[in-house]
Amino acid sequence: MAEKRTGPVPYEYVCTRLRVRKSKLLAREDYLRMLNMSIPEMTRFIEETQYKKEIDELGTSFSGIDLLEIALSWNLAKEYQNIQKIAPGDLKRFTQSYLRRWDIQNVLTILRGKAQGITSGKIKEILIPAGELDRVILDRLLKEESPERVVEALKAYTMYPVLTKWLGSAIAEGSFAHMENALYRQFYGDLIEEAMSGFKGGRNFLDYIRLEIDMINIRNMFRLRADRIQQDAREIAIPGGTFGVDEFQRLVNREDHNEFIDAVKSRIKLRPLLDMLETIRQEKSLRETEIELIKFQIREMESMSKRNPFSIHPILTYLEKKKYEIINLRALARGKESNLPTERIRGFLVI
Amino acid sequence: MADMTLEMVQASQLGMKALGAGIAVGLTGIATGIAEMSIGSAAVGATAENKDIFGLALLFTVIPETIVIFGLVVALLLLF
Repeated sequence: MAEKRTGPVPYEYVCTRLRVRKSKLLAREDYLRMLNMSIPEMTRFIEETQYKKEIDELGTSFSGIDLLEIALSWNLAKEYQNIQKIAPGDLKRFTQSYLRRWDIQNVLTILRGKAQGITSGKIKEILIPAGELDRVILDRLLKEESPERVVEALKAYTMYPVLTKWLGSAIAEGSFAHMENALYRQFYGDLIEEAMSGFKGGRNFLDYIRLEIDMINIRNMFRLRADRIQQDAREIAIPGGTFGVDEFQRLVNREDHNEFIDAVKSRIKLRPLLDMLETIRQEKSLRETEIELIKFQIREMESMSKRNPFSIHPILTYLEKKKYEIINLRALARGKESNLPTERIRGFLVI
Repeated sequence: MADMTLEMVQASQLGMKALGAGIAVGLTGIATGIAEMSIGSAAVGATAENKDIFGLALLFTVIPETIVIFGLVVALLLLF
């Protein structure tokens, strides 16, 4: 298919649109207000924002937390599909590559569901068709009877070799964790390759991927250290960022917490990240550390999108912020449903 | 050059003035177009998301028109 002509200034249009959309996302005050609301009140509140269409559409078939959860998933998928439509040329290519992570998540959800004998209807409720695999393909996958048949149906996709390699052991062990690690390693490897293949704007994309890989590696290091499980950390490390695979293993195995933070800091060049690591040097809980890392990543992405206002960065910043808006709303709704105290729910929010 | 009559010199000066005026308007017009290109597409993008800012977006889009107005003023000064 011939490349769509996008004119001399395609970036300004889409980047400005997404900046406006970003400004319409829920503000910190909105979350704080919602903390004191019940689920029906929350539903009414977000109905007045960008979620009106989904809540109106689903209001007749669902209620309570189901309505909220499905409306959020639908809105996210719709938003992501829409961005793929308006992004021009190379930005579209990068956006699509970035969104392939949802394919991994959806395929793993289907495989896990199928392996545990969960009905297609239940699995479908939690799928988010935001990537290359759209609703039609996902429906086709859901109709397959066993995980093996699901994998066979994905023959034409890049993840197929990894899926076939790990499927046998995943079913035997009853855990898809190794497959998940392998899929994400392949995903980030592909992203780096694509960013370095010489397309216009690839450098900016690469900056973002490196930041994300670093953040994931740092987060995983904290998680592995908190778990204190003796396992091969090399499999979990994602290569391509600041930390090499062997270095990752060494850092995870460091006994002393302060030494570990110092070792991580010695490899980092970003000044704000150094300051942030200093603040989490005091023994904070893993959850607080993770939220701090996510907040840092979003802040860093915001400053990248200010430095390069007409590049892939504003698009990626919006996509990430939107994702966390959905995650926050879901955490709020689930917390309310389980009658958690307000302070506890507040701790789970990325605001 | 020596055999040029006064009429020929006057006609040549008039021609040069007209040429200068044309260049002034033409080049500033192109410059305005280039400047408005980015602002215009960003303005359309912003208006697509939020219709309330149409007036403001339009105002920002036409600000580079001042460049071509300068060109026009220079052209008029040259001609009259």
